[in-house]
Amino acid sequence: MKAIEDLVSLLTRLPGIGRKSALRMTYYLLKADQGYTQALAERIGSLQGEIHFCSICGSYTEVDPCAVCTGLDRDRRIICVVEQPQDVLTIEASKEYKGLYHVLGGLLSPLDGIGPDKLRIASLVHRVREGRSKENSHDSVSENHKAMVEEVVLATNPTVEGDTTALYIRKVLEREGVRVTRLATGIPVGGDLEYADRLTLARSFRGRMPL
Amino acid sequence: MPFSYARFVSFRNLVDSEVDTKAERIFLIGENGQGKTNLLEALYYLCYGSSFRGSVDQQIPTAGNQGFGLAAAWNSLGELGEDAGLEDSISIRFDGQIKDIRLNGKALKDRKELVFHNPAVVFCHEDFSFASGDPERRRFFFDQCAGMLYPSYIDSLRSYKRILKQRNAALKESAHDLLDVLDPQLVRFGLALMEERQKLHRRFQAEFPRLYEYVSRLGRPVELAYFPSWQKGMEFDDLVTLLGSRRESEIFYGTTRSGPHRDRWDFTSQEGSFTDRASTGQLRLLSLILRIIQASAVASGEDHDDYGGERKSRWPILLLDDVLLELDVGKRRRFLELLPPPGQGAQAFFTFLPEEPWTEYENGDTIVYRVHNGRFENQKRL
Ligand SMILES: [Zn+2]
Repeated sequence: MKAIEDLVSLLTRLPGIGRKSALRMTYYLLKADQGYTQALAERIGSLQGEIHFCSICGSYTEVDPCAVCTGLDRDRRIICVVEQPQDVLTIEASKEYKGLYHVLGGLLSPLDGIGPDKLRIASLVHRVREGRSKENSHDSVSENHKAMVEEVVLATNPTVEGDTTALYIRKVLEREGVRVTRLATGIPVGGDLEYADRLTLARSFRGRMPL
Repeated sequence: MPFSYARFVSFRNLVDSEVDTKAERIFLIGENGQGKTNLLEALYYLCYGSSFRGSVDQQIPTAGNQGFGLAAAWNSLGELGEDAGLEDSISIRFDGQIKDIRLNGKALKDRKELVFHNPAVVFCHEDFSFASGDPERRRFFFDQCAGMLYPSYIDSLRSYKRILKQRNAALKESAHDLLDVLDPQLVRFGLALMEERQKLHRRFQAEFPRLYEYVSRLGRPVELAYFPSWQKGMEFDDLVTLLGSRRESEIFYGTTRSGPHRDRWDFTSQEGSFTDRASTGQLRLLSLILRIIQASAVASGEDHDDYGGERKSRWPILLLDDVLLELDVGKRRRFLELLPPPGQGAQAFFTFLPEEPWTEYENGDTIVYRVHNGRFENQKRL
């Protein structure tokens, strides 16, 4: 039946979903409550329209700028640099960190043609500079949000590409007179931030090293 | 550590079965193509989760099957016998796409985790290439040794190779800003590799000339030399500067022209390179001696420079595939003297053609199998 086949082939494009699981889901949906299937379809349909990238940090948000970037309780002297928007959620869940974020949108990898211009590195430098230049006061963010960026924490994964990206950013920020640290202790070598448990993450924030 | 049994399902030409291996020596007697080497391959696979023949997993299943399965138990104390105590169990299933490796029922994420549990050393025909001169094959052998001896070596090597690829891509793009950060990383992992290769070299060189002379009776010393691409004694900053000064020419060639991926290992005698002048038999013996030193180094562990020592040796599983065939009687006898003596808990599997004088090599605790059409027929247990 075409309707079933079509849905199965769409579902198998999802990460971690094989044909078997896709079939199971399809049969489940076939029998499921109509309210549920409609809500699911609507949510999926409107997801990309409602979730945007924050124009400041690059994380996912419904309102731009995001709640972290505008939050009054956040420490504006520190920016944590991560690879993907989902890394922000992982670190937020640890409740250890109260500063701001900056999402790169990937890692440097000449092999895959990803150079510095493909990542949000220029906008990071801009943020650091902007926070540090006193005369710049015509900003959309209100005056009491202004504070000098004193530290940039690099939280890229400890892989070859994560290290390369961290070293590159350190080099770029050298001229800016900001402290650059690296989040690495505790996260297994070659490991993923996504899989680090909360405790490990909390520990690695406390033990971050100057790079 | 000694296998007490091995079980296989749809593995090459082997008939699905379980083979009793509770002995120090297991002899597999049969004509070529009957399944002797396939059993050695299965045992090696159980130690490392991959084939020593460099086969891809899809080539392994018996014709008409998509996947295969292997299982075994080994004594975790490195002792043989019924009451020796703790056993580790391993099972490997390949379904045509995904490989599932379980140690004591727990799934392993990375094959690499297996390396230190139950190492094996295989002696086979392909080893000839370590002796005969291809620099890449020789590096492969010594990398394998270092990986078995030094826990961080495999990670350093993987990282180095990854950075090398990234750096070569950056050279092709003339991406100076990226090269500025890739160079220190290449040096960092490269130096780690060099240091452990030097350690490995000292260790092999301490044994090699003596053992080679003992078996070959050549009458002149043959030594193992290690020629790193980066000069010995150069430090981190020197090397980063060196890479910087050569960058323009490397951009021209589009590839990294110095570093541990260009290191050379060679065998030398008074006249210079030994391998250029050696006979086939001399080269064959050379590869066997390398394997013996590899096995004894693994047996005595990281910090022991000579084997025997006070610490109890934990010999790797030895898999010897038709290697005695090409040696004359005297060399064969002297080579066998280098293998672990009985009673040390070492286990060795040998393959023989029926006409070989294998009865001479029996060593107390031996099981003999006749191998025919993928079946193992227990001929005798000594
Ligand atoms: Zn934001």
